[in-house]
Amino acid sequence: MTGVLAKRGDAFSETTIDDEVVLLNLADGTFFSLTGTAARIWGLIDGTRDRAALLADLAAAYGVPTAAIAPDVEAFLAQLGEAGFLERG
Amino acid sequence: MPHTLAGHPVPPGSALLLGGSFLLRTGTGYAFHYVRGDGVTVERAVGADPAEQELWLNGSVHAAIAAINGFLPFHASAVAWDGQVFAVSGPSGAGKSTLAAALGRHGLPLFCDDTLVLDISDPARVRCLPGRKRLKLSEEALVLTGARGREKVSPMVAKRYAEPAGGVVEAVLPLGQLIFLADGDSIRLEPISGARRMVLLDDDHYTAEFVAVARGESRAERFAWLAGLARRTPMQQLTRPRDVAQFDAVAARLADWIKKGVRP
Repeated sequence: MTGVLAKRGDAFSETTIDDEVVLLNLADGTFFSLTGTAARIWGLIDGTRDRAALLADLAAAYGVPTAAIAPDVEAFLAQLGEAGFLERG
Repeated sequence: MPHTLAGHPVPPGSALLLGGSFLLRTGTGYAFHYVRGDGVTVERAVGADPAEQELWLNGSVHAAIAAINGFLPFHASAVAWDGQVFAVSGPSGAGKSTLAAALGRHGLPLFCDDTLVLDISDPARVRCLPGRKRLKLSEEALVLTGARGREKVSPMVAKRYAEPAGGVVEAVLPLGQLIFLADGDSIRLEPISGARRMVLLDDDHYTAEFVAVARGESRAERFAWLAGLARRTPMQQLTRPRDVAQFDAVAARLADWIKKGVRP
């Protein structure tokens, strides 16, 4: 996946409870709970940013270098990809 | 009495809910058949224990009928206070009935035992329907709760029917709090938030299956109403030691918390 990051809307249902983003994997019924940075990243995946832009926005929001957060962001995006929540770019 | 539902076999020891119908065949000689609008038909084999009938009718059959008619049956025992329902939930054997009955000693009347039927049709609030099950307690629980013991439930069940010390309430009331029991070293009440609210509401597999089938809904539809219910239902976790010596203290603490109306 190297292009624009976008969600696969038909793969999940989403709601927010007490500032936690809750996702339901429609394929197997499992729940995902996203809080803090994970919820923020999820919100930034809106079909307008590629990985570099997402990292830049996140780094600016938290006042840290992109290199410092890149591994964790990549790992989280990989998890979302494995769950089938992201479009294949 | 049919032994199939819409062509699907229902062997003894199993149940099936389809659309507006429910068929339960026990392994003890009973069969219960409900069709919406027609009521319940009961079949009892020669030699079956007559005392079991009420248990099944007010248990699985009651939950299935509630689900078929759009209500949400939930495993909990509850008391009423200040026009609201405070329901105690937890795994089987956690002591829901005993704790709810013990709250009667503190002036809180029993609202239901074991099954709380929720009306979730109003998006603004959740309403509770009063229970149909009679309170059942072990001899030890009778002593702990101050409830008055009546006849034995059945020769096979080591419990007696009981009248709680605080009496009972039979009215439709809004849901105040769902209180989930957890084991721990000390007594404490903490609010439950976020995704855990949905997980706990969804964890009641026995009734959840009835509701899912009765509603004929997709995962996404179920998720949507679970989220709505979770958002408008305050939930607490009551952590307490599973120690009989501390049971009175646990009941007193919960009663005090309910009566004070102080919500974190």
